[in-house]
Amino acid sequence: MNPVLDGWSIDGATAMHAWAIATAATVAAACALVGTLLVVRRMSLLGDALGHAVLPGIAVAVLAGGRPGSPFVFAAAVATGLLTVWLTRLVRSAGSLSDDAGTGVVFTTLFALGVVIVTAAASRVDLDPSCMLYGILELVPFDTVSIGDLEVPRGFISAAVVLGTLTTAAIATWKLQVFTAFDADAARAAGVPVAAVTGGLLAATALATVAGFEVVGAVLVVAMLVVPAAAAELLVRRLHHMVLVAVALAVVGTCLGYLAAWRWNASAAGMIAVVLGLEYVAAVVLAADDGLVARGLGRLRYAWRVLCEDRLAAVWRAEEKGTAATAPVSLVQRLAVGWLRLTGRFVGRAGGLALSSAGRREAEMVVRSHRLWEAWLGQHAQLPLDHLHPPAEWVEHHLGAAMRQRIEAEVGAAGDPHGSDIPPEA
Amino acid sequence: MADAGSSAPPVVEFHDVTVAYSGRPVLWNVDLTITEPCLFGIIGPNGAGKSTLLKSGLGLVPLVHGTARFWGRPLADVRRRVGYVPQRETVDWDFPVSVMDVVLMGTYGRLGWFRRPGSRERSLARECLDRVGLIDVADRQIGRLSGGQQQRVFLARALAQEADIYFLDEPMAGVDARSQEQIFGVLAGLRSEGRLVVVVHHDLRTAATWFDRVALIDMRLVATGPTAEVLTPDNLRRTYAGQVDLLQEIGQAVAARSRTT
Ligand SMILES: Nc1ncnc2c1ncn2[C@@H]1O[C@H](COP(=O)(O)OP(=O)(O)OP(=O)(O)O)[C@@H](O)[C@H]1O
Ligand SMILES: [Mg+2]
Repeated sequence: MNPVLDGWSIDGATAMHAWAIATAATVAAACALVGTLLVVRRMSLLGDALGHAVLPGIAVAVLAGGRPGSPFVFAAAVATGLLTVWLTRLVRSAGSLSDDAGTGVVFTTLFALGVVIVTAAASRVDLDPSCMLYGILELVPFDTVSIGDLEVPRGFISAAVVLGTLTTAAIATWKLQVFTAFDADAARAAGVPVAAVTGGLLAATALATVAGFEVVGAVLVVAMLVVPAAAAELLVRRLHHMVLVAVALAVVGTCLGYLAAWRWNASAAGMIAVVLGLEYVAAVVLAADDGLVARGLGRLRYAWRVLCEDRLAAVWRAEEKGTAATAPVSLVQRLAVGWLRLTGRFVGRAGGLALSSAGRREAEMVVRSHRLWEAWLGQHAQLPLDHLHPPAEWVEHHLGAAMRQRIEAEVGAAGDPHGSDIPPEA
Repeated sequence: MADAGSSAPPVVEFHDVTVAYSGRPVLWNVDLTITEPCLFGIIGPNGAGKSTLLKSGLGLVPLVHGTARFWGRPLADVRRRVGYVPQRETVDWDFPVSVMDVVLMGTYGRLGWFRRPGSRERSLARECLDRVGLIDVADRQIGRLSGGQQQRVFLARALAQEADIYFLDEPMAGVDARSQEQIFGVLAGLRSEGRLVVVVHHDLRTAATWFDRVALIDMRLVATGPTAEVLTPDNLRRTYAGQVDLLQEIGQAVAARSRTT
């Protein structure tokens, strides 16, 4: 009798779940690692293909007497994966198909073949077609081997071995993978063994896929390969960051998904895939600098800066003319004045608001930008005087010191077309 | 080497090179010899096979027949000494790498399978970026550059390879006059260091000012030699409105036959 089962209790159940989570997370990490390279090489469909196409290999190996989860079946599945890749290339060049059409032809055919074998042999062997699709994560902890006095699930061991192998290979050859992924022709011209590098990636994909297929099923394997990497691509801009983020998303999503499935008594594989999908949606919203949130925030920050700079410039101009500045009218303008006072750029009370020295410098740079741009446009764009103000009103918030110097050099001593002085650079 | 004079093998020699894509020949029997380091232009209309010629030299497309040799040796012996700048549109510029990452790629061939770029490679890459005027954007994602800047990133990557021969495929495409000057300046610098620079180029006016020698190509070699002697109205007419129709038809016929046999 299985000693773990003997001690079945709340704690025993928790241990079971912990093993299932650890196995799924290990598979997820391995998939996210290769998935990152597949996604940036625009080869995600190939992961999909392998996830399905290994089915006939597993079916045949089991029919030949292999036990599901045994190294023999594992090897057969990986071999089928590599065969798929090779067939894909053959179909593509023979029928002059595009890359993804060739992949589509091969993997659907192989998968269908696998389904036929599994269903036809269902009476003779212990292979459940739906297990192949949705996985048997919940059962993983029951098939164990003893290591010392620890009962370790077989699925976890194979996943851990695969993850270790892939991580080592990735670290060792990362730069060549990146070069090949980015620019295969230049890589080949520089002497990178591009075919070997790509072959290595495909073999790694087959390994990760098979490790995943056995524990989480075809559907989730595809999700684990593609979704975390695609989400990571939205969040960061460097490949080595992307791979770390993808692995983190995969592991976190897997844990959360499993716990949610446990809580609501749903399919673990299904729930994990859903959580990974939600992570992707979150990535779309939060994406580094062109996500919805970042864009919204950026726009707000810009509007606020314009508001503040306009208040500073208004007071400066009023001082220059010797009149009182128009009091802030709207609520946001008053908020801006409050903020400027808080940050020490205005001094005094609402009635007699005055610029501090820092505020004065800032205001002068806004006015300087404005008048320089009016002067430049007046000279170079032949615009009538009344057309100069609106563009300057907009450009004044965008010019840096270097740009102002260049404009000043071009404008020369001509000065502002309306006859006002242009303040000097701070 | 016993005699360094006229008997030294040419830097680059294409001998009777014919290239076909899936059975359809696109480049016929090209003989092209470049005897010494210079700025060499390859000029011809779209689809003339200019990129294909460069790729055939670099072993990126198989030759139907003919040979390409460098200093009299096959490419495999001298691979690292030949640098390549592909046409800009051949890569995905949204790829998640920084400018610095791309330039470092130039050193990977030398580093072999497992060694990582170290401080020597980094300082070399920075030097190359400086040479093309991009040191300020070293950490930027490559998609966030202008077209001209992207071209110069590719150039910097090739510089980092420290090759002796450079093949550049339209480094001036979509580049404004100022960046062109800058790029040509860098290329002229390479020539004065004794390197050969072969450039696929479209603009005849700048070709006449910058290149020492040119080859006119339109599915076959039309003419080659010193720039002033080659860029004649007659040669240009033969290149840009030549006998290509015939060559194309023959190519298609060859492809059709090779498919049925
Ligand atoms: N990978 C390919 N497969 C099939 N045909 C190709 C391939 N690449 C190029 N060709 C064909 O070979 C011919 C020569 O192409 P090549 O790219 O060498 O021209 P090019 O002179 O560089 O043109 P461009 O000025 O447009 O860059 C063209 O007819 C093109 O359609
Ligand atoms: Mg070309």
